[in-house]
Amino acid sequence: MRTSTLGSYQSGLSLMQRMQAAIDHTQKQVSTGRRLLTPSDDPLGATRALELRESLAGLAQFDRNATMAQNRLSHEESALASVNNVLQRVRELALQANNATQSNETRAQIAVEMREHLDQLVQIANQTDGNGRYLFAGGKLDAAPVAKVGGSYTYSGDQGQRLVEIGDGRFVADGDSGDAVFFRVRTGNGTVQALPDGANTGSGVIGAVGTADMAAWVPDRYTVEFLDDTNYEVRDSGGALVTSGAHASGEELGFLGVRFELSGSVAAGDRFVVEASPNQDVFSTIDKLASAIEMSVIDDTSGAVQTNGINAGLRDIDQAIGRILDVRTQVGSRLAAIESQVDNNSNQSLIATELLADIEDLDYAEALSRLSQQISTLEAAQQSFVAARQLSLFDYL
Amino acid sequence: MPSVMNTSLTGMLAFQRALAVTSHNIANANTPGYSRQVVDFSARPGTGVGSGYIGGGVQISSVRRMYDDLLGENLQTATTGQARFSTLNDLASRLDALLADPDTGLSSSLQSFFGAVQDVASDPASIPARQALLGEASSVAERFQSLDGQLDDIGKEVNAGVRGAVGDINRLASSIAEVNQRIAVAGGLDRAPVDLQDERDRLVRELSGKVGVTTALQDDGTLSVFIGSGQTLVIGNNAQELAVQQSEFDPTIVNVVYKGSAGTASMDRSLTGGELGAYLEFRDSLLDPARRSLGQTATAFASQFNAQHESGMNLSGALGEAFFDVATPAVNGSANNTGTGSVVASVGDLGGLTGDDYVLTYDGSDYALTNFSTGAAVPMTGSGTVGDPFIADGLELVVSGAPAAGDKVRIVSTAEAAGSVRSRISDPTSVAIAAPTRATAALGNLGDAEISQSVVTDISDPALLSTAVIEFTSASTYTINGAGSFAYTDGDPITINGSEVTISGVPAVGDRFTIEANSGASGDNRNGLRLAGVQSVGVLAGGTVSIGESHSRLIAAVGSTTHQVKSNLAAQDALLTSAEDAVMSQSAVNLDEEAAKLIQYQQAYQAVAQVVAVANSLFDSLLYATRR
Repeated sequence: MRTSTLGSYQSGLSLMQRMQAAIDHTQKQVSTGRRLLTPSDDPLGATRALELRESLAGLAQFDRNATMAQNRLSHEESALASVNNVLQRVRELALQANNATQSNETRAQIAVEMREHLDQLVQIANQTDGNGRYLFAGGKLDAAPVAKVGGSYTYSGDQGQRLVEIGDGRFVADGDSGDAVFFRVRTGNGTVQALPDGANTGSGVIGAVGTADMAAWVPDRYTVEFLDDTNYEVRDSGGALVTSGAHASGEELGFLGVRFELSGSVAAGDRFVVEASPNQDVFSTIDKLASAIEMSVIDDTSGAVQTNGINAGLRDIDQAIGRILDVRTQVGSRLAAIESQVDNNSNQSLIATELLADIEDLDYAEALSRLSQQISTLEAAQQSFVAARQLSLFDYL
Repeated sequence: MPSVMNTSLTGMLAFQRALAVTSHNIANANTPGYSRQVVDFSARPGTGVGSGYIGGGVQISSVRRMYDDLLGENLQTATTGQARFSTLNDLASRLDALLADPDTGLSSSLQSFFGAVQDVASDPASIPARQALLGEASSVAERFQSLDGQLDDIGKEVNAGVRGAVGDINRLASSIAEVNQRIAVAGGLDRAPVDLQDERDRLVRELSGKVGVTTALQDDGTLSVFIGSGQTLVIGNNAQELAVQQSEFDPTIVNVVYKGSAGTASMDRSLTGGELGAYLEFRDSLLDPARRSLGQTATAFASQFNAQHESGMNLSGALGEAFFDVATPAVNGSANNTGTGSVVASVGDLGGLTGDDYVLTYDGSDYALTNFSTGAAVPMTGSGTVGDPFIADGLELVVSGAPAAGDKVRIVSTAEAAGSVRSRISDPTSVAIAAPTRATAALGNLGDAEISQSVVTDISDPALLSTAVIEFTSASTYTINGAGSFAYTDGDPITINGSEVTISGVPAVGDRFTIEANSGASGDNRNGLRLAGVQSVGVLAGGTVSIGESHSRLIAAVGSTTHQVKSNLAAQDALLTSAEDAVMSQSAVNLDEEAAKLIQYQQAYQAVAQVVAVANSLFDSLLYATRR
């Protein structure tokens, strides 16, 4: 084939330019460490890389959320542990006070300690998570949730529970409201409570309350009234007679599936109220318990009032301890769930990082050998270009 | 009888001219588009001398250029193709880099924005976290604006490119017409200087780089040039012009028109190949769709986030305001409108939004909608009033005023949205992270029924923030605010004042549940979680495509087109090189060849000069003989 002088210059030149462009590309790859310099180098890979980078950012965000939730739940857990200690100590004090060897004076000292614990408990309930957010206020973080107003304890938080996303579509609560932890605690055995009437003149003391047959129980307020020291009538809130019978001291008294122990001696006209358990906050429970312990015992009647008060308080404290245990169990399982989700997230991000590296990252060994090959090809092209251009017939004219 | 002197003189003249042609070739060895010229010698007929004929020397029968029309046409086609892909590649690569760059792209910005939303959701009472969210919000808005601005800039460059190319085409066309005239005046190809043909081929080749053309050589030696779908650009010494016209709807859009003898005609769709074709192709198939898609993402992002934000409650106990500003679809009236009609467009259904541009035409009695790009009719429902707007492709159009028959407006559904995104909120306490209502169970409840958190189902309910008390009058009936008697079914949703709650379990008589405004709930994050969910929830394309997906689809589309353009460019480069090589090997000068010819003609010239010397000595011999 005929070659033209201009054509061979141009093709030699364009070959060298193409080679230089290839070297430039490889050099950019080497200096950035990236295989893909622009998405058009590998559109599919680039889209995939974009998705992977998004999912990595998402996983990092979940981890941040998880750390936040973990921090709050750890604070909550430690607060709940303190609450449990306080309640156990209060329970011990109540048992101590419920001993016949105690005098009015020693009981008064016990009550003083108990009130100290009550103050401490209020303090714990108003604790923050270290960032100034109340742990037990639900969503209302602007004020301390628990306060004593006019002799009773009020909760100014709400019943909300904040959920935090720790994995794709996986939410975990980062706390519990004070309403659930401290306030919404059933009295008695959790279903039914039995209390003596304040005007009783006998020394009847209520023991353990049991619900033997819940199916028979119809929630209402029932009054057990003794007609004399043995015979009694049970009437519902409407005054209708439910049942009647005779009772000997120390025996159990039962109706509609509910049974309770009644000891001591009752007097005619003494009343005992059996009803569905209302909610009572743990602070009031301790307050009432302390009041019962404080009262001075002068006779059997007042002794019975005190014993009934302490017994009821002990039952309510047990309910509260049970509640705290439940909440602690939940907090523990949330913490465990977070931990396993964080592990899961880090596995996922490891996989995503590897995939991303496969798509984007440069194989340096391959790239460097390609670079040196391209450079030597260019050198050879340059040398041969110069050599070929030196041949000219005009040199011999 | 031919004399030796005369015969040798013809040789001297011929070789002198041949040497001149060779030196012309050598001088033009580096002239692009130059075709080497060759001299054809032929013997002059002799004169009879009775016993036969004696030749009369040599003559130059022609000076030809070495040029193959077929190879020339190949080169022309390859030039058109290469120029098209080279221009496309430059433009598409810029778009590609702009959209996908991790630093300038939208994805990273959206990601950090939603990260900030999550941070606020995990710690709603934190003012610094809210402040950070506002910072991210304005950077997302700025990113949308800056991307839109850069697309705008590329659009302006495309317009300038179109104007430049049209100017070049007109200049080249008139130059070709001029060469045609010079050839015609000289009396056709055989009489005209061959360099004129080279000049014309060079012009046609340059023109092919600007736009795809076809050519036809006429009998009189002139070349006719056609563009588009066969419109005449040059015929004989007459050149037609292309012109750039502003769109009737929007002066920033330019269209190429053909100024023929029968008036102007739009050429946008028929011009292909070359720089001009590439500019138009880039604008129609990459740039405009990218702006629409970006705008669609912006509209979906801002509207969806706004809607969710407006369904929340801020720290001051008020319902959330719109978080972002985003423009409604733009309506551009035609410059030719004579009536006084006006059209207001808004987005009705994000899922139905296509991002396309439309033209609404009034024919004197009815309105008709067509797609601006394809011209296809788009069916509308409704009557165009405020109460019953025209609805088509997710848009709602309200018409008013008195349009004249034939009046048109263009509706740009999303292409201008991205540039209009602004963050509206500057006060961190105005970020609505809490739900507007909360449900609570009274502490004195004796039953074991529980109430779920409230979910707002109708944010526009006027009584949304009023307090409603559900009180059970029996285990299966309840009153609302002391009125009515409603049957209770365990676990069934109850909707009051636009909030929905679920009560489950067995309530006792007198149990009360309250739904009320969620004021003071600085720690509530229910709306915050929903705001974070806006990132992944499907909104576009009938609710199947999320905001992030919408943007990554754009990046993928631009990336794969750019990739395609790149590989086409490589192929076209190779085609062009081979077409150039073919033409050059046929037509371009080889200096060694010319050197050889130089020697050849020089020797021939020396030889005929020697013949003159012989003739001279013959003559001398004769003189010498007759002197005696």
